[in-house]
Amino acid sequence: MNPLIFFWLFLKASLFSTGGLSNLPFLHKDLIGLGWARENDFVTAIAVGQVSPGPTGLWSVSLGYLIYGWPGAGLATIALSLPPLLVLAVSAFYNRMETQPVVRDFTHGLALGVVSLTLIVSFQLAGSTIFDWRGVAIAIGALALALNKRVPIILILALAALAGYLFYGL
Amino acid sequence: MMDRPRPGLWELFSTFLFLGIQSFGGGTSTFLLIHQTSVKRGWLSEEEFVRNYALSQIAPGINLLKLTILIGNRLRGRSGLIVSLLGLLVPSAAVTALMTAGFSAIRSQPVVQAVMKGILPATIGLSLAMGFQMAAPLLSGAYKEGPIRLGANIVIVILAAGLMAFSNISPLLVLLMAGAGTVLLLALVPVQTKQPLKEDA
Repeated sequence: MNPLIFFWLFLKASLFSTGGLSNLPFLHKDLIGLGWARENDFVTAIAVGQVSPGPTGLWSVSLGYLIYGWPGAGLATIALSLPPLLVLAVSAFYNRMETQPVVRDFTHGLALGVVSLTLIVSFQLAGSTIFDWRGVAIAIGALALALNKRVPIILILALAALAGYLFYGL
Repeated sequence: MMDRPRPGLWELFSTFLFLGIQSFGGGTSTFLLIHQTSVKRGWLSEEEFVRNYALSQIAPGINLLKLTILIGNRLRGRSGLIVSLLGLLVPSAAVTALMTAGFSAIRSQPVVQAVMKGILPATIGLSLAMGFQMAAPLLSGAYKEGPIRLGANIVIVILAAGLMAFSNISPLLVLLMAGAGTVLLLALVPVQTKQPLKEDA
């Protein structure tokens, strides 16, 4: 395994994507093509990314670890942390133009679009994670608890884990 | 609004570190925790928070890292940005790698599979909560500008959601279209109650 190529593939995937699993198509094509990763590595990494702390995008750190151990996890982390710095340019541009009503409205519309995106991605992911009424009940329960901002997220997840064990593990 | 808190670098670092480490449940938990923390401490208003998150959608890379960079930069400049990013990223990446090692060993255990079947649907509920929490300040702001403006906002959300659900257009392109569509639509619908614009320090 060439560390430079490894780093470049992770950096490139992050540069051409915007968070979550959107770098998946790039890494999948490149790493499977080189024979460095197997399908199973992707399934494991995505599952870990859904439950581990930090952004879901850290699934690539999990993938890096699976195919190249600790150096892989480290290189993937560095590769993930560089492209986001470009947001400073976007923000500087916005701050200069903020007083323009057109720019304010555009950013407002962008934020509305992010709301749509979040809702749609939730429903799409529900297709592969919720299989019966018990899953629906857990999702609705988590939603209700999360909207009450006083309940810590980690407690919601602990309750969900317990519910999973009671519903499916006994 | 004028008295923006100016947390110390150590406070920023430890806050993001604590946040990064305890946010089990992927990006949604992390988002909700960053939101709770920064609004509760008065680092950003609801509106500013949503606007920063929207801006982070149009740069490359992980959105929450971009959000963290913007918050750190806004509170304490370049050094604030670096400590916030390191605090959020390094420990949670390390825990992710450790969990990968552990998970590969135990993923076929029935108990682990049962627990995962509980946690994964919960992340969907959390993700919906994230959508509602982002929508709230946007829509209440629009509501103050009159019911027609509110209607225009809801139309944009529904149109963008429809495009994402039923077409193959890239999400980034849909976001840009939502921005452009809002500029056009809001130009057609005048504000009914004049609201003073919030001043950012």
